[in-house]
Amino acid sequence: MNRFRLSERGAERLSISVLLAPAVAVIVLLFLGGLASGFLRSLNYFPLIGLNDFNFDAYFAIFTDNGFLQSLVLTFHIAFTSTLIASILAVASALLLRPAFRGKRIVHFFFSLNLTIPHLVGAIGVLYLFQNSGLVSRIMTGLDIIQRPADFPAMVFDPWAIGIIIQYVWKEIPFIGVIVLAILLSVGEDYESVARSLGANRWQAFRQVTLPLIMPGVVSASVIVFAFTFGAFEIPYLLGRTFPAALPVLAYQSYTDVDLAARPQAMAMAMVIAFISTLLIMAYMKLSRVYIRE
Amino acid sequence: MTQVTLSGLTKIFDQKSPPAVDNLDLEIESGKLTALLGPSGCGKTTTMKMIAGLLRPTAGDILFDGDSILSIKPEERGAVMVFQNYLLFPYMNIADNIGFGLKMRKVNKKEIRSRVQDMLDLVQLPGFEDRKPNQLSGGQQQRIALARALIVQPNVLLLDEPLSNLDAHLRDEMRVLIRRIQTEMGITTVFVTHDQEEAVVLADKVALLFDGRLQQFDAPDSFYDTPNTVDIATFFGGTNFIPGYYLDGTITTDIGVFDAPNSLVPEGDAVLSIRPEAVDLGEGGENSVSGTVLSHVYAGRYARFQIRIGDIEIEAVTEPGQVKLFADGDNIPVKFDPDKIWVLGPNTAEQPAATTG
Amino acid sequence: MTTAPAPLPGIAPRTIGRTTLRWAGIMGLLAFLVAPMVPLFIWSISFRWFYPDILPSEYSARAWEQVISPTNNVIGATGQTTLIALLCTVLSVLLGVPAGRALGLHNFKGKRIVEVLILAPIIVPGLAVVLGIDTMFIRYGLSGNILGVTLVHLVPTLPYMTLVMSGVYANYDVDYELQARSLGAGRWATQRYVTLPAVFPGVVVGALFTFLISWSQYVLTLLIGDGQVETLPILLFNFARSEPAIAGALSVVFILPGILVLLLSSKYLSGDSAAVGGIGNI
Ligand SMILES: Nc1ncnc2c1ncn2[C@@H]1O[C@H](COP(=O)(O)OP(=O)(O)OP(=O)(O)O)[C@@H](O)[C@H]1O
Ligand SMILES: [Mg+2]
Repeated sequence: MNRFRLSERGAERLSISVLLAPAVAVIVLLFLGGLASGFLRSLNYFPLIGLNDFNFDAYFAIFTDNGFLQSLVLTFHIAFTSTLIASILAVASALLLRPAFRGKRIVHFFFSLNLTIPHLVGAIGVLYLFQNSGLVSRIMTGLDIIQRPADFPAMVFDPWAIGIIIQYVWKEIPFIGVIVLAILLSVGEDYESVARSLGANRWQAFRQVTLPLIMPGVVSASVIVFAFTFGAFEIPYLLGRTFPAALPVLAYQSYTDVDLAARPQAMAMAMVIAFISTLLIMAYMKLSRVYIRE
Repeated sequence: MTQVTLSGLTKIFDQKSPPAVDNLDLEIESGKLTALLGPSGCGKTTTMKMIAGLLRPTAGDILFDGDSILSIKPEERGAVMVFQNYLLFPYMNIADNIGFGLKMRKVNKKEIRSRVQDMLDLVQLPGFEDRKPNQLSGGQQQRIALARALIVQPNVLLLDEPLSNLDAHLRDEMRVLIRRIQTEMGITTVFVTHDQEEAVVLADKVALLFDGRLQQFDAPDSFYDTPNTVDIATFFGGTNFIPGYYLDGTITTDIGVFDAPNSLVPEGDAVLSIRPEAVDLGEGGENSVSGTVLSHVYAGRYARFQIRIGDIEIEAVTEPGQVKLFADGDNIPVKFDPDKIWVLGPNTAEQPAATTG
Repeated sequence: MTTAPAPLPGIAPRTIGRTTLRWAGIMGLLAFLVAPMVPLFIWSISFRWFYPDILPSEYSARAWEQVISPTNNVIGATGQTTLIALLCTVLSVLLGVPAGRALGLHNFKGKRIVEVLILAPIIVPGLAVVLGIDTMFIRYGLSGNILGVTLVHLVPTLPYMTLVMSGVYANYDVDYELQARSLGAGRWATQRYVTLPAVFPGVVVGALFTFLISWSQYVLTLLIGDGQVETLPILLFNFARSEPAIAGALSVVFILPGILVLLLSSKYLSGDSAAVGGIGNI
């Protein structure tokens, strides 16, 4: 009996390994392999061209470079501001879309529509809306609010990355919103009803009951959004300034620089991005574990 | 305490389907336990939510002690609803759940703590403060939900099927607890159930709803003795119906003519109803006919007989002592006591929607 | 019976006020969400659209003709994008479904580590990894060809598919399989007639979104494709600043599969399914 059990469990373990191995192998090879190779390169280790020693020169170089530090600050600003605004508006949208109303299904469809619209398309749309001679500027000219394209406040290629943030907010409201909406719909309104019945006013019911219920969803979605907005390349590449550029853009520029000496620095920047997102993964896992336990 | 009056209360969720609650008039007495009884989907929860202020009525009014409270917000009504599925806040521990209402009223922490203790004692779950709701059994969660409502000392307590998710044993225990607390505190309580036996056991008065409409509002025993319609009698179960024609205190049926002083119809087509336990087997004389025993079941404390009279089959329940007297196939006299016959209108469609007893 | 219920004077206006407010909010929200698509669409059918005209002064199908004409290689790029996305989807399904099953159904030592490993590529930005991968791929001849691009697309898609399937399997009760086995179904028949139908919708939704993730990759293709592999997003980016009309038309082409996928899958797609969790990447 005992031996039978053991062999049964042995068989299970074997079958788990068989199921997992191919996928894990691919991810280890490509993802971890890519990271490792980037890391070695960032340490100036590149045997192919005869660099056999490690050093931290690239890291010294970037962390003493004013341009890099400005990029870092800008990137944090972009990621933090976008995530915050998107989360708040997403929660508001989900609350708005929750109750039954006529046409709810169509509205929900349109709400989730730009989940599937690529960031790149959104970015180009934002560019055509908000550049100096963009659609918004034209409408404002038509309304006699401004006279020339130059009167239009800079919203793309601007120091505050407004266009980039608008694009991220536009794209991520539905992403966080759909998650929050699903939670709201599956919990129903009864918890809030209980709270109201027990003497909570509208705000108290939202603050004490609704918010704690949706918070796990909001937090985990926000972590994903923050990581994405921190590391995305094409949106700041299209809508941002060249100096200071967002970190991923700076890394790309260094990588494709004619000066091959800049490559380890590009790799070092990639490692900084990877490091920060690793911290986020840990936060994500910790948070999800905390919430799952409840 | 508070008397609750529903007047023409109506809720229409969408125009295509019939009203969930249809023109409901009800006078819920102060300090009493009233049961709201009816099959699933008949509008019980909807009614409770409207009283609690969690759902706006489409039409009609709700009065507490004679004053309309429609414009009063739920948190200020003093009518607390306990939901069908407990709904303890999952991320709060038991103490925070119970203390929730007091926290909303900005009561200080120390007092909340001590009153939570009192409540835990009241529902017989001392020592459960620090648990999370999912560490409690269904019956325990139910009791916490009750404590969470009682701690705010509501004027009106609305219990939505508080016992439906419990097993038979726990249900009995909770019935006793609810009745005890309700009597002690004298809270006007409305209690939803779809179990007629529970309504009868627990309530001072029972309001029966079908499809959002009030069928009968009466003391519990009236639903057995003097139901308003065949449907009501059927819902409470086990009654024999024999169609006939009613005139001058007697009802003429296919199997004979019976004296029947108690009737809802003055004259015309009618239905004789008599409960199985009111049928006397083996007794002749006035109001009796002859029948054949088709089958019988001996059930310990009583025996149940199927009797054929003419083309009609009826059921009779007797004391066990009489069982030996009759065997299947026997021809025996069957007597309907005139005082226990209740004559009803013939079909439900033409019945008055409600009679308040 | 009492008289017919009188409508409540105080209620109707308030409800209407709130509904109106809600609709204003909803319309504002949808307008914001649709807004960036508007100039793209107008550009795609415009001929002359100079500042300060709010609408083009002349319309034409010029941009669409350019999209079809062979000179811009749009059709070739569409084919290449589709081919890469299909290959990538097939590989992700083949590898991700079994891995998802292991994660969704079993508890085992080291599960946490595997979960982190699966989650990491979804959160770590592609750019942070692709520079290193590029160094490796150049060495093994995988740079600048479709195979290399397909492989690098697996970095976001395979973990996504695995995650979706682990969610699907976590909601699947293995007792169905045991029931089938005890009713006399063999291993294979059980998978075929019991498990597959149960998880199939999940596989389809996961596969559709996997396709989309690959379809919309830009920076991975840019670096690994090394100018040799021209996909739609690469073309689109090149036209974005210089040729708004063509970029507009290309954008319309580029978003069509997504809309189609959403139409097909909206029934299965709710925010609590893992399917949504991973599409921050599109
Ligand atoms: N929010 C709602 N929207 C639309 N219809 C509803 C809504 N809530 C309830 N209904 C409908 O109103 C009717 C009455 O529902 P209600 O919940 O009051 O029934 P109930 O008597 O409590 O039933 P149960 O015993 O099953 O709890 C049902 O037909 C139900 O489908
Ligand atoms: Mg109910």
